[in-house]
Amino acid sequence: MFFKGMKRRAAASPIDNGRGNADRRRPLACMALAALCLLGMASQSSRAADAALIEAAKKEGQVVWYTTQIIDQFVRPLAGAFEKKYGIKVRYVRANSQEVVLRVLNEGRAGQVQTDVFDGTASAAPLQKLNLIEKWVPDSVSRFDKQAIDPNGLWAATNLYVLTPAFNTQMITKEQAPKTLQDLLDPKWKGKITWNASATMSGAAGFIGMVLKSMGEQQGREYLRKLGQQNIIPRRVSAREVLNQVIRGEAPIALNIFNNHAVISAADGAPVEWIPMQPATGVLSVASLTKGAPHPNAGKLLIDFLVSPEGQQIFRDADYIPVDPQIPPRVPELKPDGKRLKAVYFSPDEIPAMLPKWMNIYKEYFQP
Amino acid sequence: MTSDNNVLRTPMQGTSSWARRGSGVLNVRMLLIAALGLALAALVLPPIAFLVQGSLYEHALDGSATFSLSAYSELLSEGGVLRSFANSFLFAISSAVVAVIFGGVVAWINERTNAPFKPLAYITTFTSLGTPYILYISAWVMLIGRSSPINVYYMQLTGATTPLINAYSMASMIFIEGLLWSPMVFLLLSATLRNFNPELEEAAKMCGADGMKIFRRITLKLSMPAVMALIMLVFIRSLEAFEVPAVVGTPGGIRMLTTDIYETLQEIPPDLGSASALSACLLLVVALLLYFYGRMTRNAEQFATVTGKNFKPNTIDLGRWRWLAGAVLIGNFMILSVLPAAVLAWASFLPFYQAPSPAAFAVITLKNYINVLHSSHYVQLIANTLVIASVSATAVMLLTSFVAWLRARRASGSALLDSLATMPLAFPGIIVGVAVMQLFLSVQVGIYGTIWIIVWAFVISALPYGIRYSYAGMLQLHKELEEAAVMSGARPFVGFRRIVLPLLSPSLFAGWVFIFLLAARVLSLPVLLSGPSSQTMAVAMFDLMSNGQTPELAALGLLWSLSMTALVVVFHLIARSKGVRIQGN
Repeated sequence: MFFKGMKRRAAASPIDNGRGNADRRRPLACMALAALCLLGMASQSSRAADAALIEAAKKEGQVVWYTTQIIDQFVRPLAGAFEKKYGIKVRYVRANSQEVVLRVLNEGRAGQVQTDVFDGTASAAPLQKLNLIEKWVPDSVSRFDKQAIDPNGLWAATNLYVLTPAFNTQMITKEQAPKTLQDLLDPKWKGKITWNASATMSGAAGFIGMVLKSMGEQQGREYLRKLGQQNIIPRRVSAREVLNQVIRGEAPIALNIFNNHAVISAADGAPVEWIPMQPATGVLSVASLTKGAPHPNAGKLLIDFLVSPEGQQIFRDADYIPVDPQIPPRVPELKPDGKRLKAVYFSPDEIPAMLPKWMNIYKEYFQP
Repeated sequence: MTSDNNVLRTPMQGTSSWARRGSGVLNVRMLLIAALGLALAALVLPPIAFLVQGSLYEHALDGSATFSLSAYSELLSEGGVLRSFANSFLFAISSAVVAVIFGGVVAWINERTNAPFKPLAYITTFTSLGTPYILYISAWVMLIGRSSPINVYYMQLTGATTPLINAYSMASMIFIEGLLWSPMVFLLLSATLRNFNPELEEAAKMCGADGMKIFRRITLKLSMPAVMALIMLVFIRSLEAFEVPAVVGTPGGIRMLTTDIYETLQEIPPDLGSASALSACLLLVVALLLYFYGRMTRNAEQFATVTGKNFKPNTIDLGRWRWLAGAVLIGNFMILSVLPAAVLAWASFLPFYQAPSPAAFAVITLKNYINVLHSSHYVQLIANTLVIASVSATAVMLLTSFVAWLRARRASGSALLDSLATMPLAFPGIIVGVAVMQLFLSVQVGIYGTIWIIVWAFVISALPYGIRYSYAGMLQLHKELEEAAVMSGARPFVGFRRIVLPLLSPSLFAGWVFIFLLAARVLSLPVLLSGPSSQTMAVAMFDLMSNGQTPELAALGLLWSLSMTALVVVFHLIARSKGVRIQGN
């Protein structure tokens, strides 16, 4: 239901409806209000990718992008398309969220900003506190659901990640595979489940956050305490590599992997399938313009390109989930519809604020 | 003391060096020591300052800092930290012993016996030094993990539900870490063994000692400083190792200091306080170890085995045992080169990793190689990597050969230089990375975001290796050779250039190659420091790894390791044509 359903169900906020009642309907007035908000914001801080911007960007000649996106699956095709369209060189550095924060933070402190654009699921809030984000989102994002744009105009979402469990189809059958959160507590899965133990949404922390948000504090903690007795195998690798371990047969079940990765691998013939366990976790990847960016116009143009129908199509072609409501993912089931697959959503501001708490729970119940 | 300084003094000046020291400011030796001291201090002190400051001050998000000892008190109050400490200690000492035994036996067989298949030892070393750690560890996990051929076939044959080998155990960790370091041990010990004075062994033989006794009482004893230095080196590095604890230890529930540090660095922004406090403790431990090591090798002269008389050690005839020794070399080759390369080659032809089976053969693909070879991105990466690695290695060997020379000849202040050059042993990669980044953000000389900031960081972290290579070689050079030069009227630097450097060149070259390969494969520094136009091959591999694209990583890694091995062979051939040996005859 997330972005796709905006027109029909007005602005049913996935973030507000985190407790599972996600398909509640809202009156039309809400949508009007949201549209008004958007309009107001747009006039305040947005600029269109007009001829003047393109001209200024071309004069700058290049754009520097600190990204958490995967290089060969997404960054290279996007950079190629951007260079082809505008003739502006894209220089990218890939790092995880915390490295992006560290780099921008240090550059900002020293007054030597190198990057024009950065993205991530949790990097906007800490950098905003340091006043390192330039208020700017392209006009064209007005077609997105309002959750995909920061109310203060600091970031715009580029794509949606959906995190679910997955299993190895050679080690267990679809019937045997756990279907619900309660199924995961079955003693037969003791020592058979693995996850990424790092403090990220695509790991133990994200799973803990999802349980607390969907079950409530008390019930959630009780569930997590029981799950802790299942001796979940921790790994210090990305969720993508956790999924690879399951494909290899190192463990039959993984929690909190990106569901589109399972689809990509299964298409290659890998023995893996994702489980539409309720609820899934939804996280936005958002892009921001750096304050004091050396190539501000090219930076604006890159963000504009990321959220443009053309950029969104590149996400789709890479088997990612675009935020554009007009562009559904290539495998529609990947995107939570609020019925078949429900999800709890975490905003880019919420994640960094909650991570320490979730990691404390991890230490209490799960750390070996 | 006077005789110690003879070599550093021009023969025209007959006064004692003590008197001379105060007499002239334009003393060449003093200038050299001052220059080296400044260069080393500029390299090494900022990370220490950063470390101490980071552990004593609490940093708020806006950059303001308040003094606090909370990082240390948190460290002590954390319940698991003692267990992590014990695990790390056991892991480090065992890995050091495994590495030294493994590398040492191979070095001895290769340098001092008439065993067959000797070239294998060098091929093994060069391929394994050309292989990035993370690739090596991935290969070993594929070889002994639950989905490894051994475990899969065992479970298929016996119907067992648990694998034969538990890859995620302390024993596996020690085995893999020990293997990772054994090539370095081999290279360093080879240099020591090659330059042995055979007279002592011959004398023992004359007195009727058998081969075993000679080995135990003479060879082993004379190699002791080098062996102890290596055990210490591997011990410290294993204490700081991150890859093996993270990839093998964590899934096995084995907590280590470095994985604990990593956890504190996972917050946004990273909490460098706890990491710095732990590193500061580590620095203290290392300083203590170095102090004892310094005492141990104080009388370095007694180990000097390269004298003016003869320095061509003879080989020992093992008789029938030479075939066993040959088998050890083959085994070493299989374990360190063939098996990991084979499993990587297998993985590189698959869309996703699985044990060999008819089903697996059906999905074999060249896609991974096509992806790697199609990307023009890699040309820039290769150029960057080669420049960074060769410049770093040259700078380090240049600096450390002077330091080692002064140190071995007991020049005043040289102990301090040695300590400065050895200090970076105690810096985990992330600390060096962050410190260098901070340094060049505050001192704006325009190298931030270029490859030169990476060179700077590599020079810091490779200094200890450079000094060990140079010093191990220097320890064996008896000063009588230089004294002879001085007596013949040569100025001290002529003696250094024409006598010390040529005799030292095998050690220096071995050190250069080692640092070159290290710089080309280390991940942690360039990942943090590389800017948009200064990425290296290691960064590309790290990307593939964090993206979880193991098959493409295997393809790229295999191509890269092959090229690096080929490059080393070229180095070796050039060196031989110039009369420098890096390989014993």
